[in-house]
Amino acid sequence: MEVVVEERIVKDIKANLNIAGEVKRSRRILITLEKEDLLKVSEWIKGRGFEHLSAISVVDWLEAGIYEITYHVWSQEDKILITLKTSINRQKAVIDSVISVWDRSAGIHERELHELFGVNFEGNPDLVPLFLEDWEGPPPFRKDFNWREYTGEKYYDQENEREHVYYE
Amino acid sequence: MTRKMRGNMFTTSESIEPAIDTNYDLYFGPAHPGSGNFGVKLKVDGEVITSARADPGYLHRGFEKLMEYRIPLQNAVLSDRLCVLEPLNWNLVHAEAVDELMGVEPPERAKYIRVIMAELSRIQSHMIWYGVFCIGTGFESGFKIAFGYRDYILDIFELITGGRVYPAGYICPGGVRRDLPEGAEERILETLKKAEEMIRFEEMENPTLLSRSKGVGVLKSEDAIRLGATGPVIRASGIAMDVRRDDPYEVYDKLDFEVPVRTEGDAYARYLIGIEEMKQSVKIVRQAIDKLPAGEVIVPELRKPKLNTKIPEGEVYVRNEIARGEAAIHMVSNGSKYPYRVKVRGPDFLHMIPLLEHLLEGAQIADVPAIYWSLNICPADMDR
Repeated sequence: MEVVVEERIVKDIKANLNIAGEVKRSRRILITLEKEDLLKVSEWIKGRGFEHLSAISVVDWLEAGIYEITYHVWSQEDKILITLKTSINRQKAVIDSVISVWDRSAGIHERELHELFGVNFEGNPDLVPLFLEDWEGPPPFRKDFNWREYTGEKYYDQENEREHVYYE
Repeated sequence: MTRKMRGNMFTTSESIEPAIDTNYDLYFGPAHPGSGNFGVKLKVDGEVITSARADPGYLHRGFEKLMEYRIPLQNAVLSDRLCVLEPLNWNLVHAEAVDELMGVEPPERAKYIRVIMAELSRIQSHMIWYGVFCIGTGFESGFKIAFGYRDYILDIFELITGGRVYPAGYICPGGVRRDLPEGAEERILETLKKAEEMIRFEEMENPTLLSRSKGVGVLKSEDAIRLGATGPVIRASGIAMDVRRDDPYEVYDKLDFEVPVRTEGDAYARYLIGIEEMKQSVKIVRQAIDKLPAGEVIVPELRKPKLNTKIPEGEVYVRNEIARGEAAIHMVSNGSKYPYRVKVRGPDFLHMIPLLEHLLEGAQIADVPAIYWSLNICPADMDR
């Protein structure tokens, strides 16, 4: 497969922002960056035609103590998907919001991830709960959240014979 | 009108302004027959909506978390439930993500069967879209006819997968679960004629639909990209974005089809795009059946799936074009038999929250169902 355009974009990013990228396969580029560089790179690739933010995802690496945040951005012009990957400390999960770059399509993904992982996106004014109503527990998608224990305590009655099965 | 009537009835002097507050809150859904398990809180002034706030979460089942505790074989079945209206397309996204992680290349015949099933699923999903759009705008016959014709396609699903609505992981990692049964190709071709009948019915000019949807809920192309629109919604706003053509998967690069685009961006344009896409899907299925090669339908090492098959370490982001728009799965594996993290990107997550809120602002109350259903929405893949 030809990866001419992909390599040119990686070279452009290296020349303009001094950040290394990697061509994974045709139509896929991976850029690993520091969280301080996120806004700078986002703005640059948006200007380069990467206008459609497909998704933002968080991976919780419990042992390493980090959240890996990935931004998947599509360019309709070049027909290429760039994945921006950065990591933050999961105890102090704070990162700049990209709402200034990709507007509300970024805002809604950040709102979801704030609820499910407890990541704070600085600069996003709308981080109110989305799916979970009256949720008092910790962010439920964290790897250290023991949902079995939580639901047992919260929703089942240990005295009730019929619900014993949840405690075995 | 209310203000004036009240003024005439209860006041004697013209100069006294009646103390009526025309601002109120209106809750559209979640028990509204047309809304699905989803609500929108509307702030209304008289007949005009001043602001809208989506209220999702009624169908939040935590699929992404559930998948972290299951092997791909179980997740294939689980992926059906991501969207009730097009389970086969979600099967396909999940299967492709696992294929790519495991480095498995499905046999050529399996790829064609996958495309046939995905496109049939798209046709029946677009029929539902038309049906609920009709019932939302007060044209009930359209709803009944669309759901009637959809059943012909469900018959095909029953024949091939064993389930009418949920295929139970028919499209699985490595290929498809079973080969097409005898005579399935002919049955599919016959059903396509039925689908074409339905398309002809949809194409008939319909004053009810026309008057309710023309010029309603206009989405400008610059807003479409800003709010994350994909699929038929963005194509009705003048941007030809289609994953099948731009980022081809399976055998879409070997098939000839067009990507319909319109520039009006209103509810009527979205409805016309739906019709055009059904035609293209019929065309794709015909070609795929024509080219269907012989051979295996699943890679031999996955034919009898083992329970402790390890997923190699890695990370993939797989995008597909489903009936509603761009669907994607971000799957991360740390080398165990369960995926470490699965992120599901449903098109309706963006269509139903930022986009719907944007379109409803400034609209009339009476236009809410037309706008709502013209987006081809499904709360299941928004909440996941």
